[in-house]
Amino acid sequence: MDRIGKCFKELRRQKKMAFMPFVVAGDPDYKTSLKIVRELVKNADFLELGFPYSDPLADGPVIQRADMRALASGMNSDRVFRLISKIRVFSDIPITVLAYANLVYRRGVDKFYRDAGRAGIDAVLVPDLPVEESDKFVKAAKKYGIDSIFLVAQTTTKARMKKILKQASGYLYLVSILGVTGIRKDIAPETLGLIRQLKKLSKLPVVVGFGVSNARQIKILRKAKADGVIVGSAIVKVIEKYKRNPSRAIKEFIKGLN
Amino acid sequence: MRLRNKKYFGQFGGQFVPETLMQPLTELERAYVKFKKDKKTQAELKSLIKDFVGRPTPLYFAQKLSKKLGQIIYLKREDLTHTGAHKINNAAGQALLAKFMGKRRVIAETGAGQHGVATAAAAAKLGLECVVYMGKVDMGRQAPNVLRMKLLGAKVVPVASGSQTLKDAINEALRDWIANVSTTHYLLGSVLGPYPYPAMVRDFQKIIGQEARKQILQAEGRLPDYLVACVGGGSNALGLFHDFLPDKKVQMIGVEAGGLGIKSGKHAARFFGGKLGVLHGTKSYVLQDKFGQILTTHSISAGLDYPSVGPEHSFLRQQKRISYAYITDREALAGLKLLSQQEGIIPALESAHAVAYASKLAKKIFHGKLIIINLSGRGDKDLEAIRDLGVIHG
Repeated sequence: MDRIGKCFKELRRQKKMAFMPFVVAGDPDYKTSLKIVRELVKNADFLELGFPYSDPLADGPVIQRADMRALASGMNSDRVFRLISKIRVFSDIPITVLAYANLVYRRGVDKFYRDAGRAGIDAVLVPDLPVEESDKFVKAAKKYGIDSIFLVAQTTTKARMKKILKQASGYLYLVSILGVTGIRKDIAPETLGLIRQLKKLSKLPVVVGFGVSNARQIKILRKAKADGVIVGSAIVKVIEKYKRNPSRAIKEFIKGLN
Repeated sequence: MRLRNKKYFGQFGGQFVPETLMQPLTELERAYVKFKKDKKTQAELKSLIKDFVGRPTPLYFAQKLSKKLGQIIYLKREDLTHTGAHKINNAAGQALLAKFMGKRRVIAETGAGQHGVATAAAAAKLGLECVVYMGKVDMGRQAPNVLRMKLLGAKVVPVASGSQTLKDAINEALRDWIANVSTTHYLLGSVLGPYPYPAMVRDFQKIIGQEARKQILQAEGRLPDYLVACVGGGSNALGLFHDFLPDKKVQMIGVEAGGLGIKSGKHAARFFGGKLGVLHGTKSYVLQDKFGQILTTHSISAGLDYPSVGPEHSFLRQQKRISYAYITDREALAGLKLLSQQEGIIPALESAHAVAYASKLAKKIFHGKLIIINLSGRGDKDLEAIRDLGVIHG
């Protein structure tokens, strides 16, 4: 069985919600990023890694700056794949990568998914690729045994949800806010309704992200029976603050979330 | 083979945006269809275009320039529209559309500031709140336009990310739109972005060519041999070219910004170094590195300083209907000086690229050809930048 499916099955048995931290691969640089991941995998069920990109239009300022730091340190797609191969040496944690469409196109869709498969990536999320444009990507993903993660947003109609569900695998990524990634205090009430709606429509686990950054929000999501939660900007902010050695601060931040 | 899809121009175009924007784009598309059929709104648009924008603009015979270059040269005077550039054609149209959709807020990106000023003016006129995103670098080099936008009641937000130019301003505007879709219309300024923008903006700009076609037939009794226009995103060029597309004998040239030269890497000539890619929601030619990171561009003119180009341009180039060339910063400055001193008309640095190309073209072709240059905007906004470059002596 695949890593993602297995992990959700085990968490369900334990009645636990999955914790999925997001960081940008190579932020602030390759070596420190690898150290950060070593720390993260000890305290996470899943890992989401972003390919740094020059124009991340779905991201707020915190992750934009992380992208810039990573790119300035010389990160590129080849190195992201290498970094993930290195992670696979010490961890079997399910890994999703987030890559903007142009990075996938430029490498070649088939080659991108092939390299992702070889590096040990379990799922790919392309945040600026709506379901209408996704055929080629999903086909390549299937060929290399990779799950295709799709976003569902507050503006997604039921008709669109059905289209998305035809292409999605692994889990559904529910965008909890009307906006780009960043740190927010609350969970929008619409999000809770969407969790219920998605669970009725599909058996896929529902993971909530964008704007989740504190323990109270996580408690609300747990109560709403979300299957997982993604925390990105809040962790990336810790990395930004403790550039050289953020491991301890990250550990403490994650502890504070539970 | 892909099914023919209205969202595409051949293999170019599409909708590459985060899920949050997909439904709003569908709503925009539907509203636009209704807008075009609504007689009352169309009458309002017509009156706006006539009395607020100031159309039709003249097709001006450039007598001295014609004599100097040995060709018959006409200028389509978009510089004479209200706010001083063709951008107002689209801004007025979309602002009215925003109102038609019941939105109370419009946002826009701007490079040279012309689209920002046009949007601010249209928003003021129609009673809409207006926020304009502008790269910090561009705010410096187009300072007069920043003042104009503020005077017109718009909020100008400096964008300090990335290259701090048009590209980054579009990123910020899209982020704003994602967060405020229910109240806000994104008034995109060029034939770029996800469908329906490239087609819709072109429709609002088509009036340039519709007028020019009638005017040249009246003045010369024949169609032109050449149309020349500068291409950043490409809205003034498509605006002029579109109505002439079926006239197979009319040759069309889009002029990109050659910056410091193609070899220097400091340019914005997408058809001379760009590769197929996705930027700001559309698939087209994009200046990017081998991994797909978007490159920083350079042009003396803020309005052409952009790493991608409208998808319909990529398509019409592939169809060999429009050809493309580039003009360097230095040549553009010479073009600006030429037109200023021959005709008493100071073109915008963007439009100066078209003038410079036409004067180059004039040397390569037989004498007496009929050329229309789209004078997309006036140069007042550039005076400070031009002075700093030492073009003005004495």
